[in-house]
Amino acid sequence: MQPCSREMQGINSLLNPTQISLQDLHDQQQQQQSQIQSSQIHHQVQNSHFDPTSHDDFLEQMFSTIPPPSCSWSDLNPAKTPAAWDLKPRDLSDDTAPLNPDNNNNVAFQFDDSANLASKLRNHQISGSAKSAAAAAAMMLQQQLLMSRGVAGAGDSGLIPMPLSLGSADDNVDGSSSFKSPNLRAHDDSVQALFNGFAGSMHGPGQTPNQTQHFHHSQGGPVQGQNYGSPAAAMNQAPASGSAGSAPAQPRQRVRARRGQATDPHSIAERLRRERIAERMKALQELVPNANKTDKASMLDEIIDYVKFLQLQVKVLSMSRLGGAAAVAPLVADMSPEGGGDCVQAGGGNGGAQRNQTASSNDTLMVTEHQVAKLMEEDMGSAMQYLQGKGLCLMPISLATAISTATCHSRNPTNRPVLQPNGGEGPSSPSMSVLTVQSATLGNGTVDASVKDSTSVSKT
Amino acid sequence: MISKGATRNSNSRRVKFARRFVSALLHMRNRNPRPGSLSIEGVRTKSQRIKIAAYLSMAHAVGSRRAWSRAVLSKLGSRARRHMSRMGRSSLGSLKKKRVIRSYSPGELGQAKKLRQLVPGGKTMDICSLLEETAHYITCLATQVKVMQTLADNFSK
Repeated sequence: MQPCSREMQGINSLLNPTQISLQDLHDQQQQQQSQIQSSQIHHQVQNSHFDPTSHDDFLEQMFSTIPPPSCSWSDLNPAKTPAAWDLKPRDLSDDTAPLNPDNNNNVAFQFDDSANLASKLRNHQISGSAKSAAAAAAMMLQQQLLMSRGVAGAGDSGLIPMPLSLGSADDNVDGSSSFKSPNLRAHDDSVQALFNGFAGSMHGPGQTPNQTQHFHHSQGGPVQGQNYGSPAAAMNQAPASGSAGSAPAQPRQRVRARRGQATDPHSIAERLRRERIAERMKALQELVPNANKTDKASMLDEIIDYVKFLQLQVKVLSMSRLGGAAAVAPLVADMSPEGGGDCVQAGGGNGGAQRNQTASSNDTLMVTEHQVAKLMEEDMGSAMQYLQGKGLCLMPISLATAISTATCHSRNPTNRPVLQPNGGEGPSSPSMSVLTVQSATLGNGTVDASVKDSTSVSKT
Repeated sequence: MISKGATRNSNSRRVKFARRFVSALLHMRNRNPRPGSLSIEGVRTKSQRIKIAAYLSMAHAVGSRRAWSRAVLSKLGSRARRHMSRMGRSSLGSLKKKRVIRSYSPGELGQAKKLRQLVPGGKTMDICSLLEETAHYITCLATQVKVMQTLADNFSK
């Protein structure tokens, strides 16, 4: 007992400044703690897979030094301890070489041959099998080792009840009553049991017989049979929790939350909904021209305007069928208030697009006729362009009228060259677009009529 | 990204729409043989009818697969019109379902409402399906405009 206690205290100093006398641990009743510790063990088993990737240095350190006894276990943080223990199996899986007793600064495995063999077997198994199950089994093995090495009655550690819960109670109770030898015996049994269960859950074909042979000498037949189910059960629990990842272990949960995000079902549903909306927005972006907006709000505005524009086009086209310029004039006049109330910005394909209210200004008919006729010429091209999926530009009617007053040209719009106001941007207010369609359908034969039409539109 | 299926669908949709629309126009012309009706109201009603015919034929071409086409068919269908003329508008209004629309993200409130008003049948849809219906509606509207434009170009003097 003496060397053990000394070594364990050394381990304590390594890991934790606080020291608990082994005597205290020894005196505690294990039956009292067994129930508490069993729950703790389960807790620790689940937490073991929480954060495996950190503390790698600590892990190597851990392997080289003695594994902490159960007395120190209680002092360690629950987060720290499982992390350390969790790293152990992973490190084992990474390391091909088995644990070397030579690396131990302190005694470590020297006083427990079975522990050495156990660790070697663990290496052997972990390298060839699933990590989570191996980690769970290895961790439980470690706990077993700790428990056996530590005082039987170690209070707060969750390790001692491991053999109690796993193995038959009788054997372990006997083993834990005294310190060393019975513990070793119980430890061997429990370790054996652990490995048997471990082998059962693992699918390594050749390894199973090897393991059974190793611990055969200390084997208790019934113990093995009894312990078979519980380690497997415990290990099943651990991988299940591991697979859930950062999310709570819910079988119905399909989506795995990323680290740092909330994991409750509400936020996950919210995230799914947002993703779906983003998908739809992307699809819409391809349909709507001039959809290079990254902002969702402006994208929605663009979509709304495009839908309005298309509906307006349908309306205009339905009117164009009627034929007869004169008949169309009142129609257009009627329609312009509806369509011109909200200017549809049909993209900025030809240059700067402006959004303006088509406030009507009552100019003289002649001036507006001219202007609109010219604009119609220019608009037709741009309107056609838009019809084919290109963009149009808006031009305020006030500007058009102002330009019309400034420039007075002949009344023939067909051969008119492009004027200055039309040079930079093709006006494309909804009323204008109406005109363009009109001119397209009516042809350029009836200049006056078309001009008249345009006049009536431009009034608004 | 236009897959083969989409092109086939759009082509057949276009053809179906064109056929129905032209037949509707012919039907209208036959119903009103005298071409000299230049009254304002007459012209307006005529263009309105043509517009309705266009939307209806498009909705028929799409079928009942889409929520917006179903809404168009129910609202603008001939049966609905007859229903309206017989029972009056009030009853039709009462037949409509009332549903409280709650938009979850407050940033989209105004735009979502506008979009709902634009897209037929959009009043009783959540944002997700509304966006989907809008996409389909836009494609159908674009084909509608194209077909009507070519018709106008080819058949007008």
